Amino acid sequence: MKTRQLQHLFLRAGFGLGFNSLTNLKSKSKSEIVSNLFSDIHKTRPLEIDLSEFKDYFVENFKTGKLKSDKKTMMALQKMSREKIQELNIAWINRLNHPQSVLSEKMTLFWANVFVCRDNSVFDIQNYNNTLRKYALGDFRQFVKAIAKEASMSKYLNNKQNIKESPNENFARELMELFTLGIGNYTEQDIKESARAFTGWFNKINGEFILKTKRHDYGEKTFMGKTGNFDGDAIIDIILEQKQCARFICTKVYSYFVNPAINKSRVEELISIFYKNYDIKELMEYIFNANWFYNDENIGVKIKSPIELLVGIHQIVPVEFQKQKQLLYLQKLMGQILLNPPNVAGWKGDKNWIDSNTLMFRLKLPSILLSNAVINLEEKGEFEDSFETYYKTQRKRDSYIKITKSWEDFDKQYSKLTPYEFKELLLVSEIDKDTDEFLSNLKIKNNQEFCVQLMSIPEYQLC
Amino acid sequence: MERRKFLKQSSLASSLFFVPNFVKAIESVAKNSLGFKKLVIVQLAGGNDGLNTIIPFTNDIYYKNRPQLSIQKNNILKATDELGFNENLAPLKNLFDKGYVSIINNVGYPNPNRSHFRSTDIWHTASETNEYLNTGWIGRYIDLYGKMPYSGIELDDSLSLIMKGNNINGIATKDPAVLFRNNLTPYFKKVLNYQSDAHLSEHNLGYLYKTMIEANSSAKYIYETSKTFSSNVEYPNNPFGKQLKTTAEFINSNLQSKVYYVSMGGFDTHAGQTNRQNKLLQTYSESMEIFVKDLEKNDTFKDTLILTFSEFGRRVKQNAAGGTDHGAANNIFLIAKNLKSAGFYNEVPNLVELDGNGDINHTIDFRSIYATILDKWLEVNDKSILNKSFSQLDLIG
Repeated sequence: MKTRQLQHLFLRAGFGLGFNSLTNLKSKSKSEIVSNLFSDIHKTRPLEIDLSEFKDYFVENFKTGKLKSDKKTMMALQKMSREKIQELNIAWINRLNHPQSVLSEKMTLFWANVFVCRDNSVFDIQNYNNTLRKYALGDFRQFVKAIAKEASMSKYLNNKQNIKESPNENFARELMELFTLGIGNYTEQDIKESARAFTGWFNKINGEFILKTKRHDYGEKTFMGKTGNFDGDAIIDIILEQKQCARFICTKVYSYFVNPAINKSRVEELISIFYKNYDIKELMEYIFNANWFYNDENIGVKIKSPIELLVGIHQIVPVEFQKQKQLLYLQKLMGQILLNPPNVAGWKGDKNWIDSNTLMFRLKLPSILLSNAVINLEEKGEFEDSFETYYKTQRKRDSYIKITKSWEDFDKQYSKLTPYEFKELLLVSEIDKDTDEFLSNLKIKNNQEFCVQLMSIPEYQLC
Repeated sequence: MERRKFLKQSSLASSLFFVPNFVKAIESVAKNSLGFKKLVIVQLAGGNDGLNTIIPFTNDIYYKNRPQLSIQKNNILKATDELGFNENLAPLKNLFDKGYVSIINNVGYPNPNRSHFRSTDIWHTASETNEYLNTGWIGRYIDLYGKMPYSGIELDDSLSLIMKGNNINGIATKDPAVLFRNNLTPYFKKVLNYQSDAHLSEHNLGYLYKTMIEANSSAKYIYETSKTFSSNVEYPNNPFGKQLKTTAEFINSNLQSKVYYVSMGGFDTHAGQTNRQNKLLQTYSESMEIFVKDLEKNDTFKDTLILTFSEFGRRVKQNAAGGTDHGAANNIFLIAKNLKSAGFYNEVPNLVELDGNGDINHTIDFRSIYATILDKWLEVNDKSILNKSFSQLDLIG
């Protein structure tokens, strides 16, 4: 397989490819490489952080009867949970840097921005995250049904408040608008009827799904032209009968994995594959095996998400954060904090990552991480913060991100590459002619320095 | 994007030293075509408790619902027979007495959302409660009329949704020198020195270069212009005072920016509200009075309109922790020299007919205020920015 095509595959199915892996794979055929990519997906393990301390707190206080549901205690618990969620965020990024299966993880990241959810309970959101991981390359039908029963989702979209006596339509609406069909492909009446089917869907304290029969509306519903005593699962089945559902998902998959500029006939091709079985793995295998996936028009045309940028740098020069919270700070300044999407519509992606501030920060990121460039920007406070905390800077002006860089690892792989080879490896997009001239006139001391220089031009923002 | 449109949108400020020629040739396009009017938007982030800010001191329901939290009649700066200012707002009351303040009660939107994030999004994008937009109302203003990142400045280090447009975004800085330093590293300068107009890609790569060029020229323009003016008025020594001081320096240095956005944090008072909110209101109003003085001194107050809002108000009934929970409709302040509606614009909050959560119902849609500001103050087509026509209020001009 050609180098550029290999890089393209791994930038989209993962976060890029180091020189050694590239050399190892080069001699193999496309079908072999793609099937390798899928061969280790079963190795993926749930992402779990240590919550024992948190559990102990609950158990201990329950025993002694000290646990009160008063405002103060609840706020203290929420604070603790928020801190644990930050820990989960960092664990997730570490997982992306060291995945059991890079494709599973890339798919999980993708689905997290389709089935968008946020929760202050670390238990529930960890479960939620692992449900995304479990079904990321599985059966889409089971996936949607599982998501609908998750405690975090039930809270986030108010299905918890959806009872027979007074239906709450929020989940039913977003299920169709943002998760499966897209706006304009259902009626207000469809929302009303389907909301009734999801009534009484609750979760136990441990997050397990439970149907509260007394709260569930067993009556007849008419949904998308069909009439019956539907429950939520039946509604999801009817949604999936609509070809529009396959179209909606395939369009999202295409713009995320292939090209943000949609090619309608390619998407139709994907729909014909996906609509048959709603098998996500089958769809992704088809894409990565398709010749058109490797066309020049699809290579290097997507703007990396902040996470793709961070993890991508790590692929070339492994970096370990000494102060892990600084990793959160970087995410915040670039506008993508994992587990903390802006709203149920998720991150818009591509061009929307870029404004004057984020671009300049992203261009500066390689020198911040790899050449000790100073940071002198402050992150915004949280809504819940007091005045003092809201404005408090965790870092003093002109401070450094404390990280350990593995330049030894880098040198082993890259020190012997010619500048041309190295440039070809790091940049897959077309290169601006003026910048290319600039690069060819650059005095290159060594590849460490050249690495930072290459990563600091706009071309590196593309994948 | 079409090349023509693309080039047009790259119109930049003067006094640049590394910009491509095509940019220099069209740099004057948008300059000065938008008049002198400035808009300063202040968000009291977290949800300010409007009822303890402007107190309905003759309303028994207010006192009944807030046995510990209500403010007694004799501790209030009375403004009308029914309403008075929290005494920590004395500086704002001074401005009010001069006819510089208009207070609009019961501002909100249908089906209010009580999440800070979501409700802030709604205020920032001017969307419906069930509509998810990825551009802000000021961002769209910049897209259509400002045309340059510095048309809208957020006094912070990262940009909020309110400032994001489709093709052009505002720019965030609370320190122009830092912004300048970050943007003009020797390496970036070298990269940009090589740029000519001939080769810019029309795809994402071109968009990145265009944004980089605009960010650099905006940073340079803001830094070089604003450093010609240094405020000699003493502001309260706190981060909000600092934000307003920098804003005044921007305005008084005659920077061609139109809109400034400042977010002041700390208003999410679920517990121990009284002391916290009092201090916040004091900080807000002291800084605001100085800000107005500073502008007056430089004869720029007449061209400045200040809008203060919060993403929501708080529940009428106090909670068990000596605080209040997230509510709905709230009051907003407009501050300017020549207001048509100085004083209280509309009726006092109705505490009898609350919504299902026990929150105040809105009687004025916040987008009516935006429409009025866009049409009457910034003198642009409000419908093109709000995507819909909203009835306007008799506030200005």
